Amino acid sequence: MSRPKLGQSVRRSRWSHFTAQNVPSLLALLILIATLVFYAVLFSTSLGRLPGNFELTSTTNNAMPLVFSAVGQTIVFLSRGIDLSVGGMMDISNSLAATRMGGSPGSMVLWSIIILLVGAAGGLINGLLVALGRLQPILVTLATLSIFQGVAIKVLPQPGGKVPTGYTDFLTNPGHPWALIFIGLLVLFWLAFRRTAFGVAIYAVGNDEESARANGIRVVRTRVGAYVVGGMFAAAAGLFLAATTTSGDATAGDSYTLTSIAAAFLGGTTIFGGRGSALGSIAGALVLSILISVLFFAGINQLYEDFYQGLFLVLAVALSALVGYFLRRKK
Amino acid sequence: MTGADGTERSSPIIEAVGVSKSFGAVRALSEASFGAGAGEVHGLVGENGAGKSTLIKILSGVLRPDSGEIRVEGQRVELSSPQAAQALGIRTVFQELTLLPWMTVAENLLIRREPKGFGPLLRRREMSSRAEEMLASLGIENIDPLELVANLPLDQRQIVEIVRTVTREPKILFLDEPTSSLAMREVEWLFGLLNQMRGEGRCIVFTSHRWREVESVADRITIFRDGRHVETHAEIDEDHAVTLMTGRKVETMYPELPPADDEEVALEVRNLGGGSLSDISFSLHKGEILGVGGLEGQGQRDLFLALFGAGEKSEGDILIDGKPARIRNPNDAIRAKLGIALVPEDRKSEGLLLPMSVRDNLTLPVMKLFSAGGVIRSRREMRLVQQMVERLQIRLRGSEQAVATLSGGNQQKVLVGRWLLADSRILLLYDVTRGVDVATKHDIYELMLALISEGRSILFYSSDTEEVAHLSHRVLVMREGRINAELKGSEIDAESIVTAALREEDVPA
Amino acid sequence: MSGQRNGRLSSLPALRRLTPDRRRTLYAFAAAVLLFLIGALVRPGFIEPSSVKSILVVASFVGFVATGQAFVILIGGIDLSVPWVLNASAILLVTSSLGQDDRAAEAVLLCLGLGLLTGLVNGLGIVFLSVPAVVMTLGMNGIMQGLTLGLSKGFTCHACSSSSPAVVRDAITNNLLGVPADLYVWLGVVLLVTFALGFTTFGRRVYAVGNNERASYLAGVNVRLTTVVLYMLSGLFAAFTGIALVGYGGSPSLGIGDPYLFQSIAAVVIGGMSILGGRGSYLGVVAGSITLVALVSVLQAMNMPDYGRSIVYGVVVLLILLLYGREEREV
Repeated sequence: MSRPKLGQSVRRSRWSHFTAQNVPSLLALLILIATLVFYAVLFSTSLGRLPGNFELTSTTNNAMPLVFSAVGQTIVFLSRGIDLSVGGMMDISNSLAATRMGGSPGSMVLWSIIILLVGAAGGLINGLLVALGRLQPILVTLATLSIFQGVAIKVLPQPGGKVPTGYTDFLTNPGHPWALIFIGLLVLFWLAFRRTAFGVAIYAVGNDEESARANGIRVVRTRVGAYVVGGMFAAAAGLFLAATTTSGDATAGDSYTLTSIAAAFLGGTTIFGGRGSALGSIAGALVLSILISVLFFAGINQLYEDFYQGLFLVLAVALSALVGYFLRRKK
Repeated sequence: MTGADGTERSSPIIEAVGVSKSFGAVRALSEASFGAGAGEVHGLVGENGAGKSTLIKILSGVLRPDSGEIRVEGQRVELSSPQAAQALGIRTVFQELTLLPWMTVAENLLIRREPKGFGPLLRRREMSSRAEEMLASLGIENIDPLELVANLPLDQRQIVEIVRTVTREPKILFLDEPTSSLAMREVEWLFGLLNQMRGEGRCIVFTSHRWREVESVADRITIFRDGRHVETHAEIDEDHAVTLMTGRKVETMYPELPPADDEEVALEVRNLGGGSLSDISFSLHKGEILGVGGLEGQGQRDLFLALFGAGEKSEGDILIDGKPARIRNPNDAIRAKLGIALVPEDRKSEGLLLPMSVRDNLTLPVMKLFSAGGVIRSRREMRLVQQMVERLQIRLRGSEQAVATLSGGNQQKVLVGRWLLADSRILLLYDVTRGVDVATKHDIYELMLALISEGRSILFYSSDTEEVAHLSHRVLVMREGRINAELKGSEIDAESIVTAALREEDVPA
Repeated sequence: MSGQRNGRLSSLPALRRLTPDRRRTLYAFAAAVLLFLIGALVRPGFIEPSSVKSILVVASFVGFVATGQAFVILIGGIDLSVPWVLNASAILLVTSSLGQDDRAAEAVLLCLGLGLLTGLVNGLGIVFLSVPAVVMTLGMNGIMQGLTLGLSKGFTCHACSSSSPAVVRDAITNNLLGVPADLYVWLGVVLLVTFALGFTTFGRRVYAVGNNERASYLAGVNVRLTTVVLYMLSGLFAAFTGIALVGYGGSPSLGIGDPYLFQSIAAVVIGGMSILGGRGSYLGVVAGSITLVALVSVLQAMNMPDYGRSIVYGVVVLLILLLYGREEREV
């Protein structure tokens, strides 16, 4: 018996799907490009030359901690969570690096690994409390933020300590923009992560927990995993922070809780889970970092930095909401 | 497992024996038995609340029975989780879809069985071609595998869900109301698919509210009523089936509807459109119950919301007592001048504030009645609440009791009582008897009659067509957002409503 | 549904009869009393009237901020802009009054107006631009921080060195019948808010919206208006706390608002309000504020260093969350 067929074939190109489904991330990319152009114009009008190696290097190096913390935050967001303890974890990581790391390559590698594991352990605590304890992520991570901050101060009571020069040269070389390589690696990491079963599971859980469970995805494990990876990225961000500042400060990471959230939002990842991309967040983090230089060359007092970052965040999210609204309207 | 008429074929591949399940005080299944064999399409029919969905959930490992036995291929099994059921080759398409909305069709179809590439990596590019093949092999060409599920219309989502389940090669396939959102052609497609699967020796059990569909494809039909297995037949005519499903209570259950002779128009709608609605015109008289019928999802919900100021209305006029009314939000509709009230479909998510008290729920829209300058006069409020509780015979321990702890019927009474306090003259009752026990249904019917005898008017939708037929002076039959027919007086019965609802389907447009 | 296991507090018949909200309020007060007793064991002077009074004064500041936070949490929102709205108000008080009594009234009104305005913008953004509350208030925090720093030139402006007008200082610190005036103010706020939430149509609507926005809307509640008003109240209370802190301490400083974000949310949660909205009583929040400050005081009395305090803070909040979460599932 021949079965009836359903409908005419309608296919749009892969590219058209890609753009339609990544409006917020692409918007973040556009904003990044616009910010870069704006920056270059301001720079050349005030200094009479184009930005060069030095500017590129310092901007990239300064952006690295935010880029890494934003990627971690994004992964937690995608699982329909939020991690307010990012800043505390960066404090711990930063303090450990400044006090424990020795000048030998062995010590640097060893301590980097230990610190990343500490990040994973912190994330594990968050994840277990959220997924097994069934507590609200915002409250859990607010409490662990306080705990992590305390631990960091215990490790390094007074700002100080020293990060080995070799470590700084490796992660955030002050003479060359080599840190761009890490951003490239991060992009590669994300493209691969998106293609692992774990990556798919995070998206699925963020989309709809019940449906994900019905599809055979282990929800608890996935949510815990998201926080663990998030914690590792926060620890990595703390390492970059230590490397650029070359010394330790147990409170230097605090502000990154909020800026990592801002960068992830700016990059188009929603707090409601399952939608967004770390690539957008990388763009968002770069925008927020470059914005500071833009303000400098626009002759705006640096004290207004937070004002513009805040304004940018709200406007970008509102803009993204409006674009989404009109796209839906058009249909 | 024996059918009442001994239509036993081969031994059943899946069987439920004496299964019971209760939710709180409500008994969803009592000592229910059921069986279906390999190479069979088995229809499972019954009214809302007959226990079909509960049975399917138990046989899919989603719910655990309170008592009773489940056997697969003659072996007693414990279905402790959906995974346990899936391991035995059982797959289910539930009424609530389990698709992931912000992922593509391909990702949904291939979740947990994505094509593997290098190391732990999945091959995303191959996924779309694989999904394309899956869809094509089942004759589906109008769904783009790269589209997000959230962007698909409801019928296509249902198809994706079916495709995903079917392509996992289940030995036993359950489909709970798979056709409710499908168009005619899509139903044909599905039945073609089921026929093919029967040929492959699989066991298929499905539920549907549309008798003709069940009759056309099922090898055997099992009828459930009030959580029990009634009978299983290979051949059964519709009249007999309906009697079995309703238990011959049809005539006695509904109260006598007094004639509506008031010609005064309470509500008039002219050329209402917007959202899924187009060109809707009708009038509702004082003391009248105007039924709204039709298949589910034909715009009835949007109509009710639009009249209440909570939906999309881009064109047309609404007149109350002959005067044009401006209804921009529910607050406008509720105000005494208009006096419109809506009792919504889902009382748990749209009607009630479950953790709050009966008092709070009753008086939320009418706090003006007992407050001065925003300060609540508790005693005056309590008096009003007390009156309403007595009038509607709401059974409760005290007015501070949380609404969540009341039975479904009493919850519904609280919702209606709210609007009586508001002295609403036009009541929009949307599927108010869904999930309510028989005794309370009766209370609600009596209440409706009492309301119209006071000169109030009721616009009444129910997913139970029989109910619309018995409780309406006139019936508007909706189809695709329009009014397809208006039935009056002796024309009204369930059959004529269904006929009118399907009218255009027979004639290709 | 059952929760009849022996030894559980909630199985005591007297406690069982209480609603969960009232039971949690009771727990929060019991915790405060317990902490005072522990304090007395650690340091005998701990429960002397003067000591208790000074703890309560500090608690009142948390209580003020937490009042505003409670309003928005009751509808399932959150206000992360509290720290810098508070800080801005504190600085605005001295810069606009220059410490002069005859300008004090205008300065206070200006500060409160500032709080209302930031709340209004928060509310409008959330309601009309559908920016998630977390992002909107986070952005607003940055905006206020940047504005405060920028306009006060990093708190180096000429007017910045002024101190609080004497009337404001007196209104907070003067003793009346042996009790600091500030505590009367707090009592007034507590009575007013308890009345507003418990005995007015406004309070009824707040709980309704918090429980179910859609159902409230269909019952004729103006959800948007309610939301905006609540964010305005949160801003108002943050600004008010800024004034009170300056009156108490004599002069503002940068960062005085920072601890209040964590503390206000923690006080609300310890008091038994659900972060998802609609549940909990305001008196619990009052108890939560006292508990939190008493905890700090006990730790201080034990000579616990800063880092330890921070850790204990986090752990206590987590434990309380787990306890409440457990009750939730039982009931």
